[in-house]
This record gives sequence, structure tokens and C-alpha cells, in this order.
Amino acid sequence: MKTLAYGHIKTAIGSVRANKSRSFLTMLGIVVGVVSVVSIISIGEGVKSQIRSQINHYGRDLITVRPGAETAHGTFTDIKSLVNINHAGSLTSRDLLAVEHTQGVAYSVPLVIVGGSVNGGDHSPGSITVIGTTNRFASALNQKISFGANFDPANNAAPTAILGSRVAERMFDDPVPLGRSFTIRGEQFYVAGIFDDFATAPFSADVDFNNAVFIPYDTAQSISDNGASMYEILVEPRTSNHDDEMVNALTRNIAKARGGQHDFTVLTHAESASVTNDILSLLTALIGGVAAVSLLVGGIGIMNIMLVSVTERMHEIGIRKAVGATNRQILMQFVTEAAVLSLAGGILGIILAIIIDVILRLSTDLQPVTSWQIVLLALFVSMLVGVLFGSAPALKAARKDPINALRNE
Amino acid sequence: MIDLQDVSKLYGFGDATTLALDEVSLKIKEGEFVAIMGPSGCGKSTLMNIIGLLDRPTHGKYMLNGRHISRLNQNQAAKIRRDSVGFIFQSFNLLPKMTVLDNVALPLTYKGMTTARRLKTASNMLERVGMQQRESFLPSQLSGGQAQCAAIARALINNPKLIIADEPTGNLDSAGSRLVMELLSEVHKMGNTVLFVTHNPELTRYATRVVYMHDGTIIHDEKTKLGEVSPTARRLMYSVPVTTEDDDMAGVSALMTALPVKTSLNSKRKTGRSLGRAKKSKRTSNKDVIL
Repeated sequence: MKTLAYGHIKTAIGSVRANKSRSFLTMLGIVVGVVSVVSIISIGEGVKSQIRSQINHYGRDLITVRPGAETAHGTFTDIKSLVNINHAGSLTSRDLLAVEHTQGVAYSVPLVIVGGSVNGGDHSPGSITVIGTTNRFASALNQKISFGANFDPANNAAPTAILGSRVAERMFDDPVPLGRSFTIRGEQFYVAGIFDDFATAPFSADVDFNNAVFIPYDTAQSISDNGASMYEILVEPRTSNHDDEMVNALTRNIAKARGGQHDFTVLTHAESASVTNDILSLLTALIGGVAAVSLLVGGIGIMNIMLVSVTERMHEIGIRKAVGATNRQILMQFVTEAAVLSLAGGILGIILAIIIDVILRLSTDLQPVTSWQIVLLALFVSMLVGVLFGSAPALKAARKDPINALRNE
Repeated sequence: MIDLQDVSKLYGFGDATTLALDEVSLKIKEGEFVAIMGPSGCGKSTLMNIIGLLDRPTHGKYMLNGRHISRLNQNQAAKIRRDSVGFIFQSFNLLPKMTVLDNVALPLTYKGMTTARRLKTASNMLERVGMQQRESFLPSQLSGGQAQCAAIARALINNPKLIIADEPTGNLDSAGSRLVMELLSEVHKMGNTVLFVTHNPELTRYATRVVYMHDGTIIHDEKTKLGEVSPTARRLMYSVPVTTEDDDMAGVSALMTALPVKTSLNSKRKTGRSLGRAKKSKRTSNKDVIL
């Protein structure tokens, strides 16, 4: 049986080689299907893994408080808070106080967004988010400051700023623009430090911190006449492993501060990332499903060509039957041929998908992950498509009467 | 070995029914070298195909080595073809994209033999038919005689007891024909049963028995001595010139007109083709070439 299978594979490869252009065109459907499915799943997995690494980097204990109520499934009722975090937040300094006075809170970090333009520097920086926060921001997110220093805790109203790495690159020609000045809402600021790259995830609901300027919290309040909107409070608990209790305590206290209103959300960092994760999984599955249709079309192409091949090679089938091939052996020969054809398409598709992954990694923020499971699954599915769609023509060949097949020249 | 009892074969249906074999009964013992002769369309090939299990009789009983063949399913028939029957065709029927060696080894593939053993056996067989030098050639690179030798090697590879050759010399020149017939003669000497169809009376000298067919029936069956042209065939050879202008106009070959005719036409034959033959037969009978 082993030798026979080897013989079938050899014949199949010979047949694919003998009709190169026809075989390639037949494979094309499978190639397109595999490329799209593998690429989409890889991109989805890549984004998820970026989110995971972001969580790991920021620390699993971190708790976030955001405006907007939460539903039972952990999604926001106010969709704007998910897709456009820069909208006017509804957290206040009273909420911040409530958080700080909750038992078990080591420290809390408010994040306020300051409206208005950023000017100065060597180049116009374009759209930049200005965030007012405290000197604990860096330690809450385990973020290093690669150059310069953190805010001076003694002077929370100083006109200093720490730049996100990309802002520093965009605004200034100097590789390390420490001490350079620029203006926010007309007020002059000095660059005190530059953050290391933040771990970001594409499609994430979070603000891109690499593209933000950080100023002290009090300064932010004063330059915006206390009009800066607080969109998030980061809470670092004193001890870990008590997330649920902590979340409950925070919820109680903030609600009390807001007069019993539950129009805010308290999430552990993992929960907040899982919202994005869920949406991504759904999107990946949907687009992957659409791409899988092209595999079906590819399968129909294979069936078509196999039917032509069976008709063309009817005489050969007759000869093989005359020398003793059974129906099953002929069936296996043609099924193997279809499987080889679609498997070759699958391999070609995977190679192309890997090339696309590399291009995406080099030219975008996306970091697609092509796991061996996806590769194996794609190969298996493409072979399955070949076997399924090759069966009908193979059955036609197998059932042919030997003498009628022989008469077919 | 072969026992056919009232075997008939019909093609088509309704008005278009053609009777290719008409209640043929034939017994062939093991070790016989049988030549089957007759005009084109007389049912020789159909008979060969039925004996070789490529085709099934419509009616009648066929026993091969004591086994009732009509009851076999397609796969059982395929296994008997593989193990007990070797086919040699007029047009060689070698697979064009395979080398001579692979072609000869093909029946062994279906037996599940390992590649190395298969190719070695095929190579030995090619050596026996004098084709070892050409085992890596493609069929298109061979002469007709060489291609038929390769086909004979393929037919012999499974050591079948029965060799069926349907006009094996039909596409060959005289040298090629002699080569092929000598080979078949060798095969016969090894104790195999050989059945071959031919139009050439000269080739009956290789046979031990000659069966004559006409319009789907056996009209004459005679034993001959090895090395001698059968008496009936000799008569065919030398009575050939008896053709008239009418015969030539009608495209009837000398061989056909010289052939013996069955005394009574079977009443079952009603098809257009058969009616056409009846007219020809009438003409032949006028020439008194009755055996």
C-alpha cells in the first residue's frame, strides 16, 4: 500500500509538472484563499499578542477607572469611550479624592486631557495629545524615562514636560532635545524628559502614549482653567490578588462621591484589554470566514480541472485497469492528484502569507504572528479541499468500464 | 482452462442493437496456442475482451480455471486480470509519459510490490525480451517492434497463465512481426496459453489451433501442426485473387470474399450492420468457397 501511495504521489507530481500553467491557474483559488485566511488570522493573533504584552508590561494589578457605565458583559454602553477616548471625560477631582481614600490603594494617577495646540520646536508636530498627570505615572505603567528626569514631586506646577518618543522625533531635530522649549496653549514649557517607547497595541482603546506630551497635573489644570477633562484614573493597589475586592471598594466609594450614580467603570487592566480582544476575535473570525469562501471557489476550480484531466486520460485509465488496477486504486490515484494540487496551492499560499507578514512588520505597527498551528491548519484544510472536490472526478474515473476507457483514444 | 458456453454480447439498445457475439461456445485447454482469424468486425476483439475479463458477456456462461466469471464484481475481475491474464494490444498501449521500465513494472505496482523489487523484476523481464538497453527510453523513442516487445514484457511480468494478444503484429512490419511472434512462441513453450487475433494467415504457423469467426460466431475450428500454415488459412492465401469489379467497387476485400460462410444465418440477427453482412455473404456463397 505504501509503494502504491508513493507511486500515486509520483504520478500526481508528474501530472502537475506536465501541465504547469494549468496546474498553477487551478491552484490560484487555493493560494488566494490560504493567503487571505492565514494573513488575517496572523494579523489578529499578532494584535492580540501585542495587547497581551502591553498588559504584562503595565502590570496585571493596575486598575483603571474610566467614565461611562459598564454593562454586564464588560463592554461600554458609551461606544465613544471605546473608540474615541479623547472625548470630554466625566471624572472629576472628587472622584480622584474618593479613589485616594479607598482602603488598599497604594497611589492613584489621574490622566487629564488638555485641549489646545502645541507649537514651537523645529517642526510642526501635527496632532498631539497633551496629558496632565503626576510623577507616579511612569511607575504605575512600569515605564522608563530614557532621557532626562521625571516631574519634580515638590513642584507639581512647574512648566516642564516629558515627551513621548515619537513626539520627540517629530518635533525636534536633536536626538535628545532636553531643555528645549515649546508652547502649549501659548504657555512655554521645557522638555524635562523623554519616555522610552510605550508598549502599544494597534486598534487598542488606549491613547497612543508615544504620541503624547505629558505635563504635571497641576500645570494642566492651571493652563486650562480647571477645564481639563479627566478621562482615566490609574490605581495601583497596595497588595495584589485582591482585584475583585479592590474593584468593589473603588466602585462603592466613587459612586458615593457621585451621589450614587454608576456612570463610570472600574476595570482591572486585563479586563480593559479584553474588550479590545473580544472585538478583534469577532472581526478576525468574520473576515476569516469571508476569506474561506475563496477556498471553496478554489475547490470548485480543482474539481473542474480534475474532470478535464479524467476525460483526457480516459485511455490511460483503461490501460491501468487492463493491467490490473482496481476501482479503488484508480480512485486513490486521482484523489491523490487533487490533494497534491491543492496542497501545493496551500504551500504556495503559506509562503506568500509569510512574505506579506514580513512586509507588514517592516512597514506598519502591526506584528502578525504566523503560528505553526495556523500553518498546519491551512495545509490540512487545503488538502481536505482537494480530497473533497477531487473525489467526484476520481469516482468518475474509477467507475469507468475498462473496455470503454480503452476505446477512448 | 477457458470454457465459454453460448456467450453473446450485445451493444446498444432498441433499434440500434448490434450483436457482436452470437452464442459462441469455445473450450481452450491449458498450453494451447490459439490463433483467431476473421474479417474486421466479426467479433474477434469482443471475444478476446470477454475472455480477458475486460468486458462482460450479455448472455451465456464463462468459466476461467473453473471459476464462474460472470458472477465476479469489478474488483475481483481486476485482480484476476492482474494475476492471471496478460494483454498485448495492436497499438501497444504503453503509457507515453512513463519509461519502458516503469511501464513494464506497472502491473506489479497494483500488486503492492516495493519499488526496488518491482524495477528489478521489470528489468529482468526486459532482458528476457531483449529490451534491457532501452529500459530508460520513453515509448515514443521506440520502434513499433520494440514497443510491442515492451508490451509483451509488461504482459508477462506477473507470470500469467493466459496471454491475450489482439492483433499484436497489426502495426508492425514483417521483421517486427516475426520478432513478436517468436517471442509469443517462446512464451507458449514455457507452458502458457496464448490466444492471438490476426489477419495474416502466414502467422497461423505459430499456432496449434486456429479458430475462424464470422459475424459474431465461430464458423470453423481446427488443430494445426506447429510450423505449418493451417490448411484453411493456406486456402485463403491462395484463393485470394477471386474478386470482381463489383467487389472492388463495394470495397469488399479479397480476404473477406474468400472466407468461408456459415451455412445458415442466425434468425436473431436483425440489425442494419448484420443485414449488410448478409448481402455480402450472399455474394460470397455464389463463389462456392465453402470449406
